[in-house]
This record gives sequence, structure tokens and C-alpha cells, in this order.
Amino acid sequence: MEGDEYLDLTIGDFLERLGTGRPAPGSGSASALTVAFAAGLVTMVARRSSDSWEEAGGVAAQALALQARAAPLVLADAQVWEEALTALDSAYGGAAPTGDLERKLELAAAVPLQIAEAAADTARLAALAAEHGDGQYRADAAAAAVLSAAAARAAAHLVAVNLAVREGDDSLESARISEAVAGEAATRALEAAA
Amino acid sequence: METALSTFTDAELVRACRAGEAEAWNELVERYSRYVYAIVTQGFRLPPADAEDAFQEVFTRVYTKLDTLRDDDAFRPWLAQLTRRVCLDLIAAAGRVQPVEEVGADDTTAALDDFDEAFTVRQAVSELSESCQEMLDRFFARDESYRTISEDLGLPVGTIASRISRCLRSLRSQLEGKK
Repeated sequence: MEGDEYLDLTIGDFLERLGTGRPAPGSGSASALTVAFAAGLVTMVARRSSDSWEEAGGVAAQALALQARAAPLVLADAQVWEEALTALDSAYGGAAPTGDLERKLELAAAVPLQIAEAAADTARLAALAAEHGDGQYRADAAAAAVLSAAAARAAAHLVAVNLAVREGDDSLESARISEAVAGEAATRALEAAA
Repeated sequence: METALSTFTDAELVRACRAGEAEAWNELVERYSRYVYAIVTQGFRLPPADAEDAFQEVFTRVYTKLDTLRDDDAFRPWLAQLTRRVCLDLIAAAGRVQPVEEVGADDTTAALDDFDEAFTVRQAVSELSESCQEMLDRFFARDESYRTISEDLGLPVGTIASRISRCLRSLRSQLEGKK
């Protein structure tokens, strides 16, 4: 398998890239990485709960799958965002429309939508872990749910501000549902872990 | 539609092939074509034309050498070994620069182990209920969200993760039963 430019970096190097002043990686990448972190936490809690929770193994497997979905979106978001910016720069610079500006903007919204969906599912799973996981680790599950909810909210915002997306758009609707689902799951998880 | 042959164990299928049942041969090829192709293309990384030749040669040898299989329950490892041999022969015949011994080294062995594991899981999944197969396929293979699965299957979204966990528990039981 080919390497992933971002996932192959150390965390320190990735943080440095976030602060370089270049447009990417940006908030979409950071949101995707947050989902991947949260999914990792859910996996940990589930594995720690296998003695007392019948579903723990299945939840760990699902969390790993969600992490595997979110991780490649770190790079994917940076790529589509850079391409969209380049197309926008050309358009503002007076270049003749190439016809693919809209397509690139749509792609730039599609990846945050995927991030929001992965975040919503991770938050649901984290809430389950906060409700049924080992008592000692429920706080970690609640933290995972809160991280996921934050990522879902950020990603939904990125979908909303994309120029290709209008009010009433299916993508926007879907992103807002994910945001709401993740938020509710985080509330449930915090209550369960209190 | 599921035929009776598709429910046969490997050993039963091998015996049916030996008895000359044409349909059993079709089922054997159907059951193992992906497995062989994966070894040929991913384990040995043969280019498409060579891979096609290797694929044909493997099943020709299975047809002519099936009587030499000593343990009918061990068809899969026998097939893996036979496929490996065919690939090495093809590489040697083509006079590739890479020495034959090196081709079959650790990487390929690890790849064969992975294929074996994947195949075992796939078989175990096929023995689960249809609803479990559908659920696992949607979540793990098609990367569908809980919401999409819930809407498509008409199930409450809050129950999807638990249903998947239960299906995975059944899968684990199936796999443990095969050990």
C-alpha cells in the first residue's frame, strides 16, 4: 500500500504543517484527524471492557473501521481544498471559466460531509461505550463522543460555507443531521459517564 | 440461487469432482477463483497476461492432479501450494531477472497467510444469516454510515451498532468452530 503523506508524519510534524500559513492542511484535515483520534479512544475503551460488556469486541471492530474511514480524509480534505482554491484563484484572476470550478467546489464540500458522517457514527459508538463500557474508562468514551461532536460540527460548518452548497441542499441537510446526531450522542455520553 | 453444491464442504466437493460431477467442478472453480487470482496477482504480482495463464494452468493441474490430494479436507492449502508452484514455474520459464527462490520468500508467504485468513473469514460470513451478511457488508465493505444502513433496511438507527456487534459475535463463533 502506498504511504499517506500526512499519516506518515509524526504528530509533531503534522502540527507544524498546520501552522505553516499554507491553506492546507486546515480545519477539514484537523477535523478528520480528530475523528480518527476519537475512534481510537472508543477502540481502547471497548477493548478494556471485554470482560464486562458482551458487545465490546464488536464495538472495537466498528471503531477501528471508522478510524480507517476517517484517517484518509485528513489528506483527502487538504487535496480537494487546495484544488478548489487554485480553481477559485484562476476564476478571480480573470481566467476563462474552465468548467470544473463547480466540480472542485462540490468535491471540497463532499469530503467534509464524509468527515461529518464518520464523526456522527463515532459519536454514537462512543456513547454506547460510555453507557456500557467499563466504569473506569467511561470518561474516555465520553471524551471521544465530545471530540466527535466537535469534529462533526466543524465539518458541517465547512459544508455550509462552501460556495457550491446552497440552503436546502442535500449535502448541507445531511451534514446538519450528522452534527445534530453527534451532539446528542455527546450529551448522552457525558451523562452516562458523569 | 443457492445450489446444494454450494453448501458442500471442500472435502465433499472434492469427492464429487472425483466422481466426475461436472457441476462440482464448476462450483470448485467458482469457490476458489478469487483465491487463486489473489495469490497470482497480489502475492506474486504477475502482470495480467501471465496471471491469466497462471490461473488457467492452476485449474488444469487441479483437474489432472486431484487424485494426488491425500487429505480431502486439506484442499485449500494444497491449492495454495499448487498455485505457488505454477507461479514460480511461470516466472522461471520467462527468465525473469529475479531468482525464483527470492520470489517465494517471506513477503509471498505472508501474503498467502493473509489470503488464507481473508478466505476463511469470507466463508464464515457466508454462513451467517442474510441480514447479518447484509449488515456487515454495508458497514465494513461499503463503508456505509449507520444512518444509511438504517434507512435502507428500515431499522431504528440507534440499534445498528448493536446489531453489527451481534453479527460479529456470531461470526466469531463460526470462526472458532472452524479451528
